[in-house]
Amino acid sequence: MTSEPLLSVRGLAKSFGGVQAVRDVSFDVAAGSITGLIGPNGAGKSSVLAIVSGFLAPTSGTVHFEGKLVSGRSAFQLARLGLVRTFQLSSEFERLSVIENLLVAAPGQRGERLRDALAGKWRWQNQEDASVARARELLARFEIPAKEDDLAGDLSGGQKRLLELARALMAEPKLLLLDEPMAGVNPALIRRIEAHLLSLRDEGLTMLMVEHELGVVERLCDPVVVMAQGQVLSSGTMAELRKNEEVLDAYLSG
Amino acid sequence: MNLYVLSLGFGLITASILAIASVGFTLQFGVTNILNLAYGDVMTGCAFVAYLVTRAGGSLPEALIAGAGTGALASYGLNRFVYTPFVKRGTRMFGMIIVTISVSLAVQNGLQAAFKATFFSLALPRPSSYTFAGMIFTSQQLVIIGLAVVAMLFVHALLSWTKLGRAMRATAADPELARSCGIATDRVIDAAWLLSGALCGTAGVALALNVTSFTSTAGGQFLIPIIAAAVLGGVGHPYGAMIGAVVIGISAELSAAVISPSYKEVIAFLILIVVLLIRPQGIFAEVATQKEVVA
Amino acid sequence: MSSSMQFYISNLLVYLGVDVMACLGLNLQFGVAGVINLAFIVFQAAGAYTAAVLTLGPQSSLGGFQSYIMGSHLPFPLPLIAAAVVGGALSYVVGLIVLRRLRTDYQAMVFLVISLIATTVVTNAAGLFNGSNGLALIPKPLESVLNLSTVNYQWVFVGMTFVCTILVWVVVRRITGSPLGRTLRAVRDNDAAAASLGKNVTQMRLIAFVSGGAIAGLSGGILAQYISAWSPGSWLFPESFVYFSAVIVGGAGNNMGAVVGAALVPVAFLEATRYIPQFGYPGLVDALQWVVVGLLTLAVMWFRPRGVFPERTKRFARTPESEPTS
Repeated sequence: MTSEPLLSVRGLAKSFGGVQAVRDVSFDVAAGSITGLIGPNGAGKSSVLAIVSGFLAPTSGTVHFEGKLVSGRSAFQLARLGLVRTFQLSSEFERLSVIENLLVAAPGQRGERLRDALAGKWRWQNQEDASVARARELLARFEIPAKEDDLAGDLSGGQKRLLELARALMAEPKLLLLDEPMAGVNPALIRRIEAHLLSLRDEGLTMLMVEHELGVVERLCDPVVVMAQGQVLSSGTMAELRKNEEVLDAYLSG
Repeated sequence: MNLYVLSLGFGLITASILAIASVGFTLQFGVTNILNLAYGDVMTGCAFVAYLVTRAGGSLPEALIAGAGTGALASYGLNRFVYTPFVKRGTRMFGMIIVTISVSLAVQNGLQAAFKATFFSLALPRPSSYTFAGMIFTSQQLVIIGLAVVAMLFVHALLSWTKLGRAMRATAADPELARSCGIATDRVIDAAWLLSGALCGTAGVALALNVTSFTSTAGGQFLIPIIAAAVLGGVGHPYGAMIGAVVIGISAELSAAVISPSYKEVIAFLILIVVLLIRPQGIFAEVATQKEVVA
Repeated sequence: MSSSMQFYISNLLVYLGVDVMACLGLNLQFGVAGVINLAFIVFQAAGAYTAAVLTLGPQSSLGGFQSYIMGSHLPFPLPLIAAAVVGGALSYVVGLIVLRRLRTDYQAMVFLVISLIATTVVTNAAGLFNGSNGLALIPKPLESVLNLSTVNYQWVFVGMTFVCTILVWVVVRRITGSPLGRTLRAVRDNDAAAASLGKNVTQMRLIAFVSGGAIAGLSGGILAQYISAWSPGSWLFPESFVYFSAVIVGGAGNNMGAVVGAALVPVAFLEATRYIPQFGYPGLVDALQWVVVGLLTLAVMWFRPRGVFPERTKRFARTPESEPTS
């Protein structure tokens, strides 16, 4: 089944002051895949992720999502199109409860509009009930060991990771951008998250993952794009890349 | 034409006081990321100390030393006993703003309560005047300019050539990294507050010296121009603050002459707002990222 | 109840109502949405001046001893509605300029400076609102129409203030109890994460800011018509801080907290200190009052930073509609 790639990046470049962080990066993310983006520190992976998700404006280059040009749009606009990202550092809404964190992510809430909020509960209660049901489903699915009314800021690091994953899913993404989802996570939890990601992929969710843990990348990602010094070195399966001289050099010297 | 040259002269003096004050402020802000809105009121407190010293018969140098010393101790104490405990507790940036404003209110009104809302002058003998290229300076004002030059040179030497100076710059740039390089950031921060406090106190005395009379609100009123100078030059960049001080000092006096004396402060306000909204990193720094407060 | 007692209580109730409204508005901006609007008092003042110039009538009608812009004799409740609208409109303009992604402390600085600029401009541009002397003889709503005794009119004013306070309470509760309120809090806690979930952060902040500004304007309109006078001395920067202190003491992010804070700080504390005999020189007690406000805020920030009534999260009942179907 050949179909257009869900995400298409061409000629992306970004410079900060005098530093060229990203130079001429091009790659595709096929629908239904978990595509990996790896490389040594300073390779520019985070910058690429930030550009693709709308948090950083590229100096040049284009990003196409579902065939439409989206480069230059801001993060929230991209999220509404289905392009949702997670963050490397914990980014839970710490003074909201666990379930409130999820509910924020529900798309298209009438109750968020001033006019409907002022009109009263009857305008948005039904939608809210449905969102609460969905949120509870997600909490159960991810088996987050915390009560829905607990404050998100009080959770442990691992619980927060799961929460953010569930929250991102609540936003009904078409493409999920994961920024080092396993950073600082203990091995047992890594396995659990891997299992969740695989089942999500099996349900048809596309993902682009920046990750350092090569074991994780090997188990989850196909294909994998390797970057070094702002450029794409190569791409392919992990097995292919392991045999690639350039890639090995980059990692050893990187 | 004369008016402009005269204003230029006034501008130089204002710039000198501003330079001393804003370099101190930018050091504090740069190293610890705390926007200390009580800075101006500490200046006022030091002005009052200088007043008491001169009233007891002290000379100008003695008053300056007293003022600088008070500033150093007060700033150090403020950080050690008020700000740092709050930061260590987890108070974040917007909580710290409320904390510093609370301190500012308490200090300013405490001074007013202690000294009443009347005006004070340093009890020093009348200075002689000198004319220079159309600008008039009293000997005291020349001392202020001289002080500013000496202070700038001192700060420059400290930052460029001493270990402490390098440690300060490292801590200001990236405290985590500095700590992992073995820099005792706690002591560096203490030193930064002592030094900037001394500058704060010196500026306070200079301010009192320059105006015919001052009151408990004098330093607080100077706060915005100080912050404007520091932000214009790029927070944490002492050289930038010096240049910012010159720009603001001179433009304030010139606009007072050209437009109206009552709008003198407005120019500093406007410069600050414009810089914050358009280029918050100031003229010399790179991107103004959101950093957290440091203790 | 004696006449003077009635005056005293009704007076207190009006101030309580105005301060509760202001605190609810500030709580919306600061407690819920996280905007440190250190220029809050400017928006209250805008409402006050609006109500004033819309009820004073043309300059000449009073002998021309005060100069100000506009000047009409609009009947109640138009001037108050206008006060709210002006507060909201001014907030919209200021918000558009200031509420971008600026770091928290810089944003607070900008608001502080706006407050100072506003004071300077209004004080110096005498033709605007009569400069530092301010406006006086502002008529009270419906006074001539009702023709009551002074004491009875006071109670009518209390009733009117009460109605406005209830109105503001309902508006604020509906916002905070709805998904809008939840999203505002999310934007406050982590705006990048909120953006990554599709929230237009700037627009959200603007909604909270304008709503709070309209409420501030309304409170100002009522206050100006009550005191019958309004000058720059009524709205210097420290007044914003009193409201901040009140919101923090009561509990930022909690509407009941804002009410309690209003009752404790501007009303109870400042009221109570009026009864301390004026010891020392004149002005000493006032200065000490401010010292205590500063120290009190520090103490609350240290011992109970979440305030009397901390922010609450919403609990969701387990009804059939909200349980997962699987």
